[in-house]
Amino acid sequence: MAELLQYTITGIAVGMVYALIALGFALIWKSSSIANLALGQLVLISSWFTYGMLVQAKFPYWLGFPLTVLFAIFLGWLIERLTLRPLIAQPILSLITVTLGIAYFLEGVVTFVWPMSVAALPRLFPQEPVRLGPAVVSQEYIWAALVSLLLFGLLSLFFKYHKMGIAMRATADDQLAVQACGVPVTSVFSTSWMFACVVAAIGGVLISCIGGITYGLVETGLKSFSVVILGGLDSFVGCIVAGPIIGLCENLGGGYLTPLIGPGIKDIIPFIIIIIVMVFKPYGLFGEKRIERI
Amino acid sequence: MDLPCGTRNFDYTSDTAVLRTKTHWLLLFLLLAFVFTAPLYWSNYWLSIANLIGITIIAITGLNILIGYCGQLSIGHAGFMAVGAYTTAVLTSKLGIPFVASLLCAGLMAGCIGIIFGLPSVRVKGFYLAITTIAAQFIIIWVINHWTSVTGGFVGIKVAPASIAGFTFNSEPRQFYLIMTITALVIFFAKNLARGRVGRAFIAIRDNDLAAEVMGINLTYYKLLAFFIGCFLAGIAGALFAHWSRFLNAEHFTLADSILYIGMVIIGGLGTTIGPIFGAILIRLLQQGIMYISPVLESAFPALPAGFTTGIGPMVFGLVIILFLILEPRGIAHRWTLFKAAYRLWPFSY
Repeated sequence: MAELLQYTITGIAVGMVYALIALGFALIWKSSSIANLALGQLVLISSWFTYGMLVQAKFPYWLGFPLTVLFAIFLGWLIERLTLRPLIAQPILSLITVTLGIAYFLEGVVTFVWPMSVAALPRLFPQEPVRLGPAVVSQEYIWAALVSLLLFGLLSLFFKYHKMGIAMRATADDQLAVQACGVPVTSVFSTSWMFACVVAAIGGVLISCIGGITYGLVETGLKSFSVVILGGLDSFVGCIVAGPIIGLCENLGGGYLTPLIGPGIKDIIPFIIIIIVMVFKPYGLFGEKRIERI
Repeated sequence: MDLPCGTRNFDYTSDTAVLRTKTHWLLLFLLLAFVFTAPLYWSNYWLSIANLIGITIIAITGLNILIGYCGQLSIGHAGFMAVGAYTTAVLTSKLGIPFVASLLCAGLMAGCIGIIFGLPSVRVKGFYLAITTIAAQFIIIWVINHWTSVTGGFVGIKVAPASIAGFTFNSEPRQFYLIMTITALVIFFAKNLARGRVGRAFIAIRDNDLAAEVMGINLTYYKLLAFFIGCFLAGIAGALFAHWSRFLNAEHFTLADSILYIGMVIIGGLGTTIGPIFGAILIRLLQQGIMYISPVLESAFPALPAGFTTGIGPMVFGLVIILFLILEPRGIAHRWTLFKAAYRLWPFSY
């Protein structure tokens, strides 16, 4: 029982972070229908950047974190401006593969600047584990879930009330009409990339607080694809619902299937979910059924 | 069209011939003569690079059929190669099946796994398919790493060199002949596939699948066929790789490799037979160049960070992929066509 509760809590908490990273994907997909496959590498590079700021440069937290956010904004702007803007109106194949190229490049940058393969961020959250009934959960999970929820709330307020947020929703709805209304679509695109990079960075920092900075962060990014696929590509609600589901499946499955099947099953459960969803319900739980059925 | 000046076709045979003129035949003969006498004056180092290039050409010819002709993006090609490689490794070393049979089995096995993971392509396309094939890559590699009793798990598995009727391909020159022969056959097959009914159906599906279906092309059949052929060739390439490197573990078939293969196809030129050859040669030579030059640079400039040698490769390849997509999306093959046209029209190129 204690085991079950523990898996459930950690699963939901990790799932919230996945949902946050997936939100970054959905943002870009909604506004510019570009599938960002470099998500994992964005998570990786911003976690390493945080490490560089906090540990290597020994900046205090109040300086290190804003710098990370600034770095993420700059990175998003750079990627959009240099690689995706020249490719506007190209076939979807080029758009997907260019993000693969970006992924490859960022991975090279990470090995270039931070050749060590494993590192740990300094402790950001209090250490002592929390007792929730019979389960013992380390505080990082709870904080990660709380921060993700807070960001989710802030972002939905932004989309609801801020001018740029409304412009982004409108662009997602109808690009031509938005252009006719005088909204600069290109700046909407770069804003969505900046937002995506920022949420990827925050998600990366939260995950690496839990598990340290390793190459596995790329897989974390890839796992959040299963969140987008399950939730539906263009749905923010889908992200927040599907994230905890994936996290739960991963942790419960990892906990109970490992003795049966073998170690490491935890890491491929999200990918198996992708295949299952793809065969039976390709547009996900909340996705718009605009997908071309063949 | 792309016929040299003054060449005309007077009957159907000459219209459908791959090689149209005597110059074509002469050039082909010279190329084959050059390739097959290469072991006489190339060192083992260059032969091993050439072997790797040959294997890569086979693999990405398959990928090109999948992406370039049929328009189905697959980001799990290294995974399908791994299926072929491990199939032949297990069949030859544990069951003692002869090389030729195990090579075919490797191809068939990879093709069947490809069909399984290609099944979603019947319903979805574009990004959805890309994600499915990424999932395929991870699932395949996970199975290889954890099915220890058969695949050797993380430790890896040793593979005996290939042998046909008692003749063992146990040195670089011998393997060079084996790999080059199969590469030449695969290129010939791909060229004819693309010109025939199947290739035209693939192209129709790539350009507009709804229109293709209206024209009477069975989408399910042809999409799965594309997955089968593409993954079959990946399996063959993986099997040759297994017998060439004689040692396998999952590190040889990572997601990064899959991405690099897509990069090669794009750099070479999607939807052309010659594109994969250009792409494979360019990227593999670039790899060798980087491997050669980065220690030199590192010793010359001690100020470079410690990750320079390992990090510079992915950076350069990523950059090359991005630049080709932005500046020359039709790849080197397009430049090659332009060059041929200019050469034919010279000196009256108006």
